[in-house]
Amino acid sequence: MIDALQAFVVVAVLGAALGSGWALAPYVARVLAGSPTFLDRLLGPLEKRTYRLIGTDPSSGMGWKQYFFAALLLNVAQMAIAFLVLVGQGALPLNPQGFPGMNWELAFNTVVSFASNTNLQHYAGESTLSYFSQMGAIQFLQFTSAATGVCVMAAMVRGFKRGSANMGNFYVDFVRVVSRILLPLCLVAAVVMVALGVPQTLGGYITVKTVEGATQRLLVGPVASLVSIMQIGTNGGGYFGANSAYPFQNPTPITDILQIYLMLLLPTTLVFAFGELVGKKRETLPILIASYGLLAIDLMIAFIPSMAAVGPGIEARFGAFFSTFWTVVTTAVTTGSVNSSLAGNNPLAILSAFMGMVIQATPGGEGVGIMYMIMYIVITVFVVGLMTGRTPEYLGAKINARDVKLVMVAFLIHPVIILVPTVLAYATKAVNAIPGFSSLPTSVGFTQILYEFTSSAANNGSDFLGAAANTPFFNVATAVVIFVGRFAPIMVLLALSGSMIGRRRSESQTLRTDSGSFSLVLTGSIVLLAVLTFLPFLMLGPILTYFQGLVNFLG
Amino acid sequence: MASRVPRLDSVLGRVRLPRRPSALTAKTLSDSVARLSPVALVANPVMFVVELTFFVVAAMAVDPYAFVPAASPAERVFYVQVAAILLVTVWFSTLSDSLAEQQAKNTASSLRRLETEVPVKKVVTEGWERKVVPATSKSLLKGDLVMLDKGDVVPTDGDVLEGIAMVDESLVTGESAPVRKSPGDSLIGGSTVVSDTMTARITANPGESYLDQMVRLVESSKRPKTPNEAAITMVLFGLTGIFTIIILSMLGLSVELGLNTDLSVLIALYVCLLPTTIGALLPAIGLSGITRLYERKVVAKSGRAIETAGDTDVILLDKTGTITVGNRHVVEIIPMGGHTERDVGEAAFLSSWFDDTPEGRSVISVAYERGYVPRELNSLSLSEVYDFSANTRTSGVKIHFGSSFVLPKGSMQRVRRKFFVEDASDRGMHLSGEESEIVKGAPDSFLKVGFSVPEEFPGLVEKISSAGDTPMAVARDHQVIGLIRLRDVLKDGTKEKIDAVKAMGIRPVMITGDQPLTAKSIASEVGIDEFIPQAKPEDKFNIVKKEQAQTRVVSMIGDGTNDAPALAAADVGLAMNSGTEAAKEAANMVDLESNPAKIIDVVLLGKQLLMTRGAVTAFSISNDVAKYFAILPVMFAATLPALHSLNILGLGVHTAVLSALIFNAVIIPLLIPLAMRGVAFRPSDTMTLFLRNVLIYGVGGVIVPFVGIKLIDVLLGAL
Repeated sequence: MIDALQAFVVVAVLGAALGSGWALAPYVARVLAGSPTFLDRLLGPLEKRTYRLIGTDPSSGMGWKQYFFAALLLNVAQMAIAFLVLVGQGALPLNPQGFPGMNWELAFNTVVSFASNTNLQHYAGESTLSYFSQMGAIQFLQFTSAATGVCVMAAMVRGFKRGSANMGNFYVDFVRVVSRILLPLCLVAAVVMVALGVPQTLGGYITVKTVEGATQRLLVGPVASLVSIMQIGTNGGGYFGANSAYPFQNPTPITDILQIYLMLLLPTTLVFAFGELVGKKRETLPILIASYGLLAIDLMIAFIPSMAAVGPGIEARFGAFFSTFWTVVTTAVTTGSVNSSLAGNNPLAILSAFMGMVIQATPGGEGVGIMYMIMYIVITVFVVGLMTGRTPEYLGAKINARDVKLVMVAFLIHPVIILVPTVLAYATKAVNAIPGFSSLPTSVGFTQILYEFTSSAANNGSDFLGAAANTPFFNVATAVVIFVGRFAPIMVLLALSGSMIGRRRSESQTLRTDSGSFSLVLTGSIVLLAVLTFLPFLMLGPILTYFQGLVNFLG
Repeated sequence: MASRVPRLDSVLGRVRLPRRPSALTAKTLSDSVARLSPVALVANPVMFVVELTFFVVAAMAVDPYAFVPAASPAERVFYVQVAAILLVTVWFSTLSDSLAEQQAKNTASSLRRLETEVPVKKVVTEGWERKVVPATSKSLLKGDLVMLDKGDVVPTDGDVLEGIAMVDESLVTGESAPVRKSPGDSLIGGSTVVSDTMTARITANPGESYLDQMVRLVESSKRPKTPNEAAITMVLFGLTGIFTIIILSMLGLSVELGLNTDLSVLIALYVCLLPTTIGALLPAIGLSGITRLYERKVVAKSGRAIETAGDTDVILLDKTGTITVGNRHVVEIIPMGGHTERDVGEAAFLSSWFDDTPEGRSVISVAYERGYVPRELNSLSLSEVYDFSANTRTSGVKIHFGSSFVLPKGSMQRVRRKFFVEDASDRGMHLSGEESEIVKGAPDSFLKVGFSVPEEFPGLVEKISSAGDTPMAVARDHQVIGLIRLRDVLKDGTKEKIDAVKAMGIRPVMITGDQPLTAKSIASEVGIDEFIPQAKPEDKFNIVKKEQAQTRVVSMIGDGTNDAPALAAADVGLAMNSGTEAAKEAANMVDLESNPAKIIDVVLLGKQLLMTRGAVTAFSISNDVAKYFAILPVMFAATLPALHSLNILGLGVHTAVLSALIFNAVIIPLLIPLAMRGVAFRPSDTMTLFLRNVLIYGVGGVIVPFVGIKLIDVLLGAL
C-alpha cells in the first residue's frame, strides 16, 4: 500500500499530464491539420524546397496503401542508415572510447527495435556505443519512430473523420511532427534535464578520484538530449544499460518524476488531440476514460499488495514506490524505459506491466495507442451497438463485415506473435542459452520469457533479460516479433480506416460513443477482450509467482 | 416523453395464426441429428470446431494409451463424459437450427395453402377463338390466362383480367370475410373463389410467387447471410482463431514446463471459451426474424430487408390506412351563397356517382339517407366523367340533359346494389339541350381555377380544417355552392405504434393529400410532428431521395404503380398485396393483408432482430470470465497448487470442468426460446436500450455463469 504523500505524487503526475495534454492538444491538432504554426516562417521555405527535391506535392493526399508504404519505406531506409552507423561506428567520428562496430545480428535487432519505437536493448549503451551511434543511430530513430507513430495515427483519424477525401500526405505529416512537435518539446525538456544535473557533453568519459581515494570512471555523453526524446517519444531505450536506474540518466527524485511525466505527456496530448482531429471534441471522452481508467486500475493492482516490493535490483535511491510507479507507467504508454530492474518489482507490478502491454492503449505508445483504442471502440460499438437494435455506427459510419474482419485480424496478431515465440523459445531450448535461466523457479522463468515477447510485440522495450538475451535466437525472434508487432497492426488499422473514406455517414448517430456510459462499457470490454486473451498465461507467470510468494529476481 | 411506451409485445399486439403445429416433432429431431454430419456443419465454424474436439476426446476415451502423457488411462470415464457433453453441445446447436427452420416452414406453409398441384382451366387463344383447356398449376407460366369459377383455388399469384368475383383469402391473410375482386385486382395463389366467375392472368412463373420466395428464404442453405450476420460471423471466426492459438500454446507450454495438463481439460477449456452460444443460435435468430414477419403476413424478399428495417431513420406513413381507417365519412353538408342543403347534397350526389372512393360512397349514402337524390340521375348515363386527378385534386361530371332517358344496365345495377332504389327512371327529369358541370374536390383547387366563391368560403374551409376534418367543396357551373365536411376515423392502436417508433428515435412523416390544416390536426392527434400535406404520388419519391441525401434510412409503404419508383428507391419498401404488380416488384416486402400500418411493425421487428443478435453475442462473450475462473485453477491443481486460491467459486477439482462444460451446453437450449421470440424490450431511445441491454446481457453474461456453474457443481457433487 502507498501512503498519502505517494498517492499525492501519483495524482499530481497524472493530473499534470492530463492538464498539459489538454493544453497542448489544440496546437498538436493544428500541426496535424496543416494549419499555420509559429515555426512556419522559419521552416516554411526550407520545407518547400525539400518537398520539391523529393518530388512530393505537399497538397496531394494519399490513400491508405500509399500512406502505409511511404511510412514503411521511410522506416526501412532509416533502419538501413542506422544499421550502417552501428556496424561501422569504429570507423566513424565521435568515438572517444574507441568502441568497435556492432555485430550484424545485434545491430539488426537494435535498428528494428528502435525504428519501431520498441527500444528493446540487448546491449549496454555505455560499453557498446560511440557518441555518434547514440546520436546518429539511436536518437535519430527515436525521433523518426515517434514521428511515424503520430503520423499513422493522424492518417487513421482522418479516415474516420467525416468528409475526409484522403489520409493526408505522409511526408508532410512526418516533417511537421518532427519539426513542430518533437524538436521543440525535446529542446525544452533537455535543457530542463541539464539544469537538473543530467550530463550533455561530447567529451570523453572522465576518470576521477573519489573522496575515499579510489578512482572511478564517470560515464557521460550526450545523455540529456537522448533521454528527452526517449521519454517524450515513448521510446524507452536509454543511454545506459541500466536506463534510468543509472544516476546520470536520472539523478534525483525530481528528474524521476519529470521523466514519468514526460512519458505520459505526448500520449495524453494525442488523446485530447483525437477529438480535435476527428472534428468532434467530445469523442475524446471514451478514449480518455478508458485509457486513464485502465491505467488507474493497473496502478491499484501494482500498489495494493502488502508483500515487500523490494528485491535485488530495485532502485535503492528512490525506493519501491518510484520503481513501481515507473514500471506501471512505462508499460502503460509502452515506453519501456526503466528506473529499476524489473526483477526487483513485485509480481503484481509485473502483472500490471503485462496489462499495459497487452492492452497497448492506456493511453499507449505514441499514436499507436490511439489506433488501438479506435480498434477497441469499433469492436465494442459493433457488439453493444447491435443491442440497441440498429446496425452499429461509429462516427456515423456503419460497421460492416470487412471492418470487423480487419479488427479481428489486428486482434489476432498480438496473441500469435507473443505466444508462438514463447512456446518456441522453450521448445527449441533457446531459453537454456540464457545464463542462469535453469536455476529460476518455473513461474519466474516463464514470466521473463513471456515478458520478452510481450514487450517486443507491444513495442515497449523493457525487459528482464537485457544483454542476457543477446543470443541469435532472441535477437532474431524479438526483431521479427517487433517488426510484425509494429507494422502489421498499423497496416491493418490503416486499411480499416481507409475504407471509411467516402462511406455514407449518417448525420446523427444514435448510440452516443461520446457518453460516459459508453466509455465505461468500452473500458469493460477492453478488459474482457485483451486481458482474457492472456489470462491463462499471466496465471502461469506473475499471478503464480505472486501466489507462490516468490519474486522475479534473476538467478 | 411523458407517457411510458408499453413493451414491444403489447405494441404489436398478439398474433393469431391459422394453426401452427408444434415445431418439436420427430422429424425435427431426426433432422437435427442429420445436421450433426461434419459436412453439414462446415458452414458454422464454431460448431465445426466443437465437433472436431469431440472426435479427439472420443478417441481419448477409446484409447487413452495413445495420448499419454496428455491423457491418463485412469480418467477414461471422465473422457467419456466430456465427449458426451461435447456431442450434446453440437446437437443443441443443430437442434436450434432445425427448430427454427421447422417453425419458419410451418408458418410459411400455414400461409401457403397450396403446395400440391391443382387442376386449372387454362384459357388459350386459337386464332380468334378462346378455348379452355385443362392443365395443372405447375405448368402455368407468367402471362397465362386461367378461368376461375366458384370453388376453384387460385393456382398462383395473378391479376383479375375480366369479371368480378368474391374470393376467400382467409387461409393466406387470415382475413375471414371474402374479398371482392374486380379487373386489375391481385389474386394470391392459394385463395379460393367463393362466388361468380372470372379470368385471371398469371403474374408469376412456377417457383416465383411470393409464397415460393418466402419458403425459399427459410431454407438455411440458400439463405445468404445478412450484412450483420456476416459481421458477427467474422467476430466468431476471430475469437475462434484467438482461442485456438491460446489452447495450442497452453498445450505446448504444458509439455515444455512439465505441467502435465490433461488434453481433455484443455479441450474443455477451449470449448467453453469458444463463443458456442452465439455460434449455435445465430442461424436460428435470423430465421426467427423472418418467421415473426410471416406471422404478421408480411413476406420479405430477403433477410437483409428485415435488418435494414431496423436501421430506419425516417418512416413515411400514408395517412390513409395507416393513421386513419381510410373511410372518411360525411358528417355535415354546408350550403353557401344562398343555396340550400338540398342543392349541395344533390350536386354532391351527382358528382360522386362515378367516384368509387370511400369518400364518394359516403357522399352518396349520406345524400341518399337525407333524401337528396337528384332528379338528373337518369341523365348521368351520357354524362362526361372527370376522374379524380391528383393534379387538380377534383372529380366530377358534366351532364348533358335530355339526350337520353335510359340508364345503362351497369349503372342501374349499381344503384340497386347500393341503395335499393326501386325505380330510378320514374323520377328521372330531362331538360333538353342543356348541360351542367358539377365538380367536387379540394377547396383550394377551385380558387386556382378561378371559380366564383362565396364570401364565407375561406373562413369555413379553415374552420373545418383546423378541427381536423376535411372540407370538400362542391361547385356547380363554375360556382362553389357549398362544402361537405368529411371526418377521418383514426385507426385503433396506431398512436401507440407511433409513440413506439418515436421513442426509438425514428421520425414518422405523415403523407397525405389533405390540405395543411387538416393534415396538421390529424398528425398532432397521433403525435406526428412532420407531415407532407397535399402530396402527389410522385412526391413520395422526392421525399425518399431528399431524406436519403441526408444519409437517412427511409422505410415506406406503397400500393399504386405511381409508388413503384419510391418503393424501389426506399431502403425498405413495403408493398400492399392489393396494390399493382409494379409496386410489388419494386418493393422488398409485401404485406399479404394490405395493411399499410404494418410498416411500423416491420421496423420494430427489424430492431428486435438486431437486438437479439447483439444480446446473445454479448452474453456469449461475457460468459468466458466465469469459465476461466472455473477451469483454470483446477486445471493445474496437481502441479501448481498455489493457484488454488483463484478457485473463488470453490468448485470440486473433478467436477469443475464438467460443470463449466455442462453450463456451456445447456445454456444453448435455455436460450432457444429467446432466440426464437426475440428479446423483449420497451421501445425507448437508443441510450436507454443500450444501458439496459448491456446490463442484462453484458453484465448479466458475466454473472449468470458464475451462479450456473456453481449450481451444477453442487448438483454434480451431490451425485
